[in-house]
Amino acid sequence: MRWRYILNTVGVLTLFFGGTMLLPLAFDLVAMDRSLMPLVKAMGITLVCGAVLMALFRHEKTETMSQREGMAIVSLGWTAIGLFGALPFYFSDASFIFVDAIFESVSGFTTTGSSILTDIEGLSPGLLIWRSFIQWLGGMGIIVLSIAILPFLGVGGMQLYKAEVPSPVPDKLKPRIRDTAMILWKVYALFTVAETLLLMVGGMTFFDALNHAFTTMPTGGFSTKNASVAHFDSVYIDVVIIVFMLLAGINFSLHYQLLKGRPLAFWKDSECRFYLAMCLILTLVVGADIYRTVYADAGQALRYAAFQVVSIVTTTGYATADYELWPGMSQVIIFLCMFVGASAGSTGGGMKCLRIMLCFKYCYKELFSMIHPRAVTRIKIGGKTVPEDVVRSVLGFLALYMALFALSTVLLAGTGVDFVTALGAVAATIGNIGPGFGMVGPVENFAQIPYWGKWLLSWCMLLGRLEIYTFIIIVVPEFWRK
Amino acid sequence: MGLALSLYLRSVALKIVIVGVGEVGFHIASRLAMENKDVVVIDYDPEALKRVSESIDVQTVAGSGSSPAILEEAGIREAEIMLAVTDSDEVNLVACLMADSLSPTTKKLARLRAADFDRYHDTFKANAPHIDTVINPDIEVIRTIERLMSVPGAADVGEFADGRIKFVGVYLDPDSRLAGVRLADLPTVLKEDRPLIAAVVRDDQLIIPKGDNHLRAGDLVYFISEKKNLFKHLSIFDKHATPVKRVLIVGGGRIGYRLAKQLEDKSISCKVIEKRASQCDYLADRLERTVVLHGDGSDQSLLVEENIHDIDLVVTLTGDEETNIITSLLVKRLGARKTITQINKFSYFSLMSTIGIEQVVSPRLSAINTILQHIRRGKVLSAISIKGEEGEVMEALALPTSDIVSKPLKKIAFPKGSMVAGIIRKETIIIPGGDSVIEPQDRIIIFATRKAIPGVEKILAVKLEYI
Repeated sequence: MRWRYILNTVGVLTLFFGGTMLLPLAFDLVAMDRSLMPLVKAMGITLVCGAVLMALFRHEKTETMSQREGMAIVSLGWTAIGLFGALPFYFSDASFIFVDAIFESVSGFTTTGSSILTDIEGLSPGLLIWRSFIQWLGGMGIIVLSIAILPFLGVGGMQLYKAEVPSPVPDKLKPRIRDTAMILWKVYALFTVAETLLLMVGGMTFFDALNHAFTTMPTGGFSTKNASVAHFDSVYIDVVIIVFMLLAGINFSLHYQLLKGRPLAFWKDSECRFYLAMCLILTLVVGADIYRTVYADAGQALRYAAFQVVSIVTTTGYATADYELWPGMSQVIIFLCMFVGASAGSTGGGMKCLRIMLCFKYCYKELFSMIHPRAVTRIKIGGKTVPEDVVRSVLGFLALYMALFALSTVLLAGTGVDFVTALGAVAATIGNIGPGFGMVGPVENFAQIPYWGKWLLSWCMLLGRLEIYTFIIIVVPEFWRK
Repeated sequence: MGLALSLYLRSVALKIVIVGVGEVGFHIASRLAMENKDVVVIDYDPEALKRVSESIDVQTVAGSGSSPAILEEAGIREAEIMLAVTDSDEVNLVACLMADSLSPTTKKLARLRAADFDRYHDTFKANAPHIDTVINPDIEVIRTIERLMSVPGAADVGEFADGRIKFVGVYLDPDSRLAGVRLADLPTVLKEDRPLIAAVVRDDQLIIPKGDNHLRAGDLVYFISEKKNLFKHLSIFDKHATPVKRVLIVGGGRIGYRLAKQLEDKSISCKVIEKRASQCDYLADRLERTVVLHGDGSDQSLLVEENIHDIDLVVTLTGDEETNIITSLLVKRLGARKTITQINKFSYFSLMSTIGIEQVVSPRLSAINTILQHIRRGKVLSAISIKGEEGEVMEALALPTSDIVSKPLKKIAFPKGSMVAGIIRKETIIIPGGDSVIEPQDRIIIFATRKAIPGVEKILAVKLEYI
C-alpha cells in the first residue's frame, strides 16, 4: 500500500469532481439562480482540497496499481466526493443541517434517491439541477468518467474500473479500458438526451425533462416534484419512464452491442432475458393482485403495477402510487424486488439478477448431484461455464449482503425506529432504491430518521453502490497489514 | 495419335499420395492397393512405414508430409490425388499448401477433425485454393449412427439422392416368412409392393443374388427403398418403428461429444459416461443439457443408478472395442432396448451377429466411405462400403459418353458381381428391370462386390474414342 500514491490519486479525483461542477455552475449563471454563490463556494473548497491533496502527496511516476490500492482509492474517493458533494446543499439557503446535506449528497451519488427533503419544490432550480446532476454522475460512475477523460489514470484504470463497476464477470468492450469507459459514457449520454426529448414531447418543461432524464438513466429516482412522477399523471410519461428505467437496468455492454447493429443482443443474453421476464411476470402478478382491490379498472391496475415494479426492480425509486396501500402479497413482492435489483453492468443496484440466477443454478446443481451422484456438473450462464471461484465469490457476496442487511437493520432499529421502517429503510438504501416501507414509504421521506440512523443509512448506500466488497474490505484488518 | 496417347494414359494406374499412415491412412492405402492403384504413403515414423510396407503393396517415403522436399520425393507432381490424413489438422493444412505450390493440378483432400472447422468446410472449398475438399470422417460416423437410429432394426443404412433413397441391411429372423423363399417366388409370397433385394451377405460372402437364389434365416439382406416406402418395407422384415427418446453414450471422446451435441439439438435426452476426469470436465463445459457421468461404462451399479432399463438406445463409443462389445452386451441384459457398438476391426464384424450385436458403426469404415467417393473414377457422387468392405454401393452420374446409356440394361455387359439397383431421373426413382434404359444425366445406384469395382469404374467412365 503506497499511501502517498493513493491520497494523490484521491486528490486528482477530487480535483476532477470540482471541475465537473462547472456544468451546473453554467446553468446557475445563465439562470442567475440563488444557488450560484453556494456552488461557487463549494467548488472553490473542492478544488483547493483536491490540489492540496495532490501537492502534499506528490509521488514518483508509477506503472502499476494493485487491486488493493484500487479498492482503497475508490472507497476513499467516493467518501470524499460524498463529502464535497454535500457542500452546495450545506451552503444553500435551504437550511440543511450537516448530516442531512451528507445524506442527500450520498443518496444522490449512489443513485439511491432517498431524500430528507419534505418540500422539494421549495428548492431553487439550481439546487435541483445539482441534485439530479450528482445522480447522473454517480450512475455510470464518476471514476469511470475520469478514466475516460483523464489519460494519466490509464495505468491503474482497470483496477479502478473493477472496484467501481464490480460485476461477477467483467466485460471489456474494447482492448483498452479507457475506450471501454468512453463507450459506456457515450451510450449513457445518448440515452439521457433521448429521454429528455421524449419527455418534452409528453409536455414536460425542458427543466423537468432534463432532471428526470438525469435521474432515470442512473436508476436514481430524485424528482423535481414532491409527488414524484405521480405529479405529471400522464400515461405517456409513465410509459417513457418505464421504458428508460428498463433500459437503464440492462447491462450497458448489451446496449453497445445493440447500437453496433446486433438486434438480438438482448434476447441472446440470458441475464437480460431473466430480468425482462421477471419484470413482466411480477407486473402481471401485482397487477392481478391490485385489480379490484385497489383499482377498479384493469388498465389502471396494470399501469401502476408496471411502474412500481419496474421502478423498484431497477432500483430507481420513482413513485406514481403508494404501494403501502396495496394488498399484502404485492407489498411482499415489492419488498423482495428490492433485493433482486437490476442486471450486472447496468446502473441499477441491488444484488443483481446475475447473482440471483447463479444462486438458483447453484441450488439446482446441488439437487441434481443428489439424483446423479456421479454426474460432472457445471453452472452455466449463456452456455458458458462459470468458474468455480466466481460462483464462490457470488455466494459469499449474497451471504455478506444478507448479513450486513441484518446487522444494519438491528442498528437502525436501535436508534428508535419501528420494525417495518427499519427493514424497509435498510433494504431501500443498501439496494440503492430510494423509498422503503413504514415511515420511509413512497409518499414519505427520510426526514424523520434519527440523527445516527442517517449516518448509518449513508454508509449503507455507499456499501450498496460499490457492491459491498470494495467498501467493506477497508474495515478488514488484513487489508491494512503490510 | 490422340487415341494412342489416351490408351497409354489409361494404362497408367491412378496415382495417389497419402500423407500420414494412421488408422485411416493405412486402411485407405490398403484398400486402394488392393484395387491396383499406385499408392505412395508419407509418414515421419519409420516404424509405422515398416508395418505398412510389410502388409500392403505401396511405396513409402519417410519424412514430414508438410515438407515440399518429401512431397516431391513421393512424386506429388505425377499424383492425381493427395490425401492429407495425419493426426494433426495443422500438418494436413500445410501439406495441402505445399502440394499446391508444387503441383496445382493434383486434387487435394485434407482431413480436418477439430469441430471448429465444421462451419467453414464450404468456405475452405471456395476460398482456399490449395484445398479441394475438406473431409471429416467423424461427421460421417455421426450420420451413420443417426441413420441407424432412424431406421429401426436395421444393421446397416445408407442414403442416396439426398436421403430420398435408402439402402438398408437387415438380418433375416428365423421365423420370418421370407426365410427359405426363392427370390423369383417373392412376388407370390408378398402380395404388396416389395423392395428390391440388391445384395445378401451370408457367411461373410457378399452375393449379388439372382432369381434362383434362396433367402435364408440369418442372412444380412440389403434392399433399396424409397424413403416414403421405407417403414412399409421394414415391416415386411418384421422390423417396426419405435422412436428413440433416451440415449446413453458410453465413451465421451471426439465422436461421443459430437453425438451428444447432435442429440441435444434434436431435444433427445442424453447421458454420457466417460472414464477420464479431465474429459468429463471438457464435456461438462461444452454440453448444455446432457448429463455427464464420471465412471466406467461397464460398471453395473452406475448403469443401474442411471436407470439403464429405461434407456431406448445405448451407443458405445470408447476407443477400446472389446469394452464396447462387453458394455453393449451388459446393457442389453440390464434392459436397454437397443445398442449401437463402435468396432474397428473388420474381422469382428462377422462375429457380431452371432453374439447378438446387430448394429455396428466403424469410424474406419466411415472414413473410407468419406474418402472413396472422391477417389473413384467417372462421375461417382458417393460410395458406401458394405459390411466388412466386401463390396460397395455407388451413386454415379451417367455420362452421355459412357457405355451404359441409351440401351436396355440387359444388353450392357456389367461386370460379374454388380448390379444396377436404382435409377434416379430428376424427381422420379426407378427400380430397374432388364428392359430399363439409362438416360444421360440420370443418377444410378450400383451394387458391386470388391472384385467387380474396377470393372464398374471402367464402364462408368467415358468411352475411349471420346477422350
